[in-house]
Amino acid sequence: MTDAISPTMDLHPRPAGGEPKPWAFPAPERSTLANGLTVLRSHRPGQQVIAVEVNLLAPLTAEPAGQEGIATIMARALSEGTDKLDAEEFAAELERCGATLDAYADHPGIRVSLEVPASRLVKALGLLADALRAPAFPEHEIDRLVHNRLDEIPHELANPARRAAMALSAALFPADHRMSRPRQGTAESVRRIDAKAVRAFYDAHVRPSSTTAVVVGDLTGVDLDAALADTLGVWQAEPAVPFTIPPVTADDTGRVVIVDRPGSVQTQLLLGRVGTDRHDRVWPAQQLGTYCLGGTLTSRLDRVLREEKGYTYGVRATAQVLYSAADGTGLSLLAIHGSVASDVTGPALADLWQVLRTLAEEGLTDEERDLAVQNLVGVAPLRYETAAAVANTLADQVEQELPDDFQAQLYQRLAETGTVEASAAAVNAFPANRLVTVLVGDREQIEGPVRELGIGEVTVLSDGDGDGDGAGETEGAAADEV
Amino acid sequence: MPMAHTATPQERTGGLTATEHKLANGLRVVLSEDRLTPVAAVCLWYDVGSRHEVPGRTGLAHLFEHLMFQGSAQVKGNGHFELVQGAGGSLNGTTSFERTNYFETMPAHQVELALWLEADRMGTLLTALDEESMENQRDVVKNERRQRYDNVPYGTAFERLVAKIYPEGHPYHHTPIGSMADLDAASLEDAREFFRTYYAPGNAVLAVVGDIDSAQTLAWIEKYFGSIPPHDGKQPPRDGALDGIIGTELRETLHEDVPSRALMAAYRLPQDGTRAADAADLALTALGGGESSRLHNRLVRRDRTAVAASFGMMRLAGAPSLGWLDVKTSGEARIPEIEAAVEEELTRFAQEGPTPEEMERAQAQLEREWLDRLATVGGRADELCKYAVLFGDPQLALTAVRRILEITPEEVREVAAAWLRRDNRGVLVYEPTTAAAEADHDDSEGAQR
Repeated sequence: MTDAISPTMDLHPRPAGGEPKPWAFPAPERSTLANGLTVLRSHRPGQQVIAVEVNLLAPLTAEPAGQEGIATIMARALSEGTDKLDAEEFAAELERCGATLDAYADHPGIRVSLEVPASRLVKALGLLADALRAPAFPEHEIDRLVHNRLDEIPHELANPARRAAMALSAALFPADHRMSRPRQGTAESVRRIDAKAVRAFYDAHVRPSSTTAVVVGDLTGVDLDAALADTLGVWQAEPAVPFTIPPVTADDTGRVVIVDRPGSVQTQLLLGRVGTDRHDRVWPAQQLGTYCLGGTLTSRLDRVLREEKGYTYGVRATAQVLYSAADGTGLSLLAIHGSVASDVTGPALADLWQVLRTLAEEGLTDEERDLAVQNLVGVAPLRYETAAAVANTLADQVEQELPDDFQAQLYQRLAETGTVEASAAAVNAFPANRLVTVLVGDREQIEGPVRELGIGEVTVLSDGDGDGDGAGETEGAAADEV
Repeated sequence: MPMAHTATPQERTGGLTATEHKLANGLRVVLSEDRLTPVAAVCLWYDVGSRHEVPGRTGLAHLFEHLMFQGSAQVKGNGHFELVQGAGGSLNGTTSFERTNYFETMPAHQVELALWLEADRMGTLLTALDEESMENQRDVVKNERRQRYDNVPYGTAFERLVAKIYPEGHPYHHTPIGSMADLDAASLEDAREFFRTYYAPGNAVLAVVGDIDSAQTLAWIEKYFGSIPPHDGKQPPRDGALDGIIGTELRETLHEDVPSRALMAAYRLPQDGTRAADAADLALTALGGGESSRLHNRLVRRDRTAVAASFGMMRLAGAPSLGWLDVKTSGEARIPEIEAAVEEELTRFAQEGPTPEEMERAQAQLEREWLDRLATVGGRADELCKYAVLFGDPQLALTAVRRILEITPEEVREVAAAWLRRDNRGVLVYEPTTAAAEADHDDSEGAQR
């Protein structure tokens, strides 16, 4: 086809690229304050917003029976006033520093994230230390946080992706295990939480000796040792009793759970099962295989479901560590997720299953494996441009009981992993007959076609059967991406 | 090399510098060297967004952006994605009211590849564009619309409010995602015509930021982009200027299957590029920009009538900017009491202005947001393109924070008094229904709009 209007340009062959410049994932410097608090620091020149990532060893399984959600309420309550400032004053002082402070509770523990311009780091570290050392937990603020949390639950239930995640946890894990229930509690359990209970949870689990602070950014001209000694170093408390997460087995018998949402214009898909944590030798191969299956829009799933059929805006395959332990007893959630137009739910699932079967029969090609390695290894300097990204991974490593050089070594291991290993890992991670499929959508439109696929027993839940949970979610409307 | 470069002197602000150049075919180039990390961003802004769309073809700019990833003369199919990702890069494109941007962040040694790819599609897209890509990406975009707006509670609030405060026929009356009917109506010939009109070197700004050698980068840009023929078919967008405030409150109550009551409002605000716009940003930050803002303290902390309350600004250069108020109610709280509290807070703010502490906090927050954007080479490249495309001068990016820090409390008060008024807003009230039948009814109405 020629275009009569525009004359043509000079075409040049595709450039080959120059010599890669050396880059390595930063090796943090590790130290311990006098009170036992562990510090990891990494100087990143040019990163003017400093990231401080704190791990508190207060796992969700430590929540008292019937008070699930208390770790979340406690995490939020840390910034609701201290021994020096009330809640409003504390929020105002933080923002005067141009800082943000977020806290959330997940299976392995609580994470508190501070981001602040370097010029105001010392002041903000003081506020952070006060929040950890001497939270006020005022009754009326805890009561407000409880009600706030109860208000959030219906919003989470209304979100198809979160609704699917809740249904999957409930299907995979035994009902008596913490893992099966919403991370941030149910309406019933959250209602039982009060200031006294929050104080008791804090006293039992939040101690400097089991806390790690990761500090990353341009530390030029910052006397970090002095700043830490005057802030987090002042915190005194007895060591905590170590806590271990009880083992759990997941039921990944292939089956389907439909959460009925009449009138939905799309069906939210979430197919999942559990795998091992990053201590497993197979992790790099599995990461490559998962990328080839559903890492990007040129991976196998989107090549068919999006770029050939137009059924979806995008379907991804992911492996997310739920918790991890040095002895290798940890778990990750292996999942395929996305949403498809309601009227093509059956055909989309049929194609998805065909992609999995083809993968199992034929494995990956060398070309796919090479592209995956080049991407996953090559993007490292981009992915870790900001202080926050580096701090987050360093804190993950601590939380997951991995060595400080895990990420640095991982790039080497990815590069050494061959096609055969990556294929085997992908097939083992996503076997077509061992996936629990959750569909949030219009039962009337989707149940028949889904039953015809024969991908397992089908259970239908009404939309009301659920209790709320949250992972981060953003809503953007002003710009639309590819 | 036959070039027509006009370099401007470097201005240094907070370590960020930029040089400007222009190719003979009209392509403007902005370069910024930063050797701290071996990465570099290539960012290309085309001066075309949903405001350039004509009636009956809403969503075309964004649909077209998708087509830019479907191959060109030397790039097969999804090759653009495969080549960038295979080189260890990351990439995307986005479409807004005022512009379409494409960006690749690359390991420094692969910058040349990104330039070659962008040049190939700028020069030769139409040799590869076909009916198959068009049909496929039409379906993908319709699913994008469903996923991001139609299948989400309150998901169409933004487009409804935008339609209220920018009147029928105004270039910003519709949002970039467009309507299902118009997406269905777009033809391959529409897409071709769109490319011929807007995807010209003279209608674009290319920024390259990061670990680059400026002379080498410029030579590559000349090599790959320099022979793309200039063309000049572009019509200016319809004028987006509006005469001051709306003059009346435009109000709608929706009964939908949503999880709680909600009060949402859009206010017209001063156009970007003015001191008044910076003052408005500070006003909205003090009123609803964080956990110590007036609306958060009043509604979430003290009255406990809301689970969340925020007030944010979408800056627009070609029309009045938009102030976005979003309050989700707590428990059984009702809209009238929330509205009265909001009105009281806005009125007080308009009378008294921000306290010195509020000014300090708002400025500190906006400064940190700015530093966050500058923390990546991609963020810096995007800001340089923005100021080059929308305001004609990339150097303005370097002084954006300084301008915000220069605003006085009185300017903040004045902008609040002049613009944050009931007769200058569109309001959307959500009342939940539980009956699915009613929700269905509302959905079908939405689809016909």
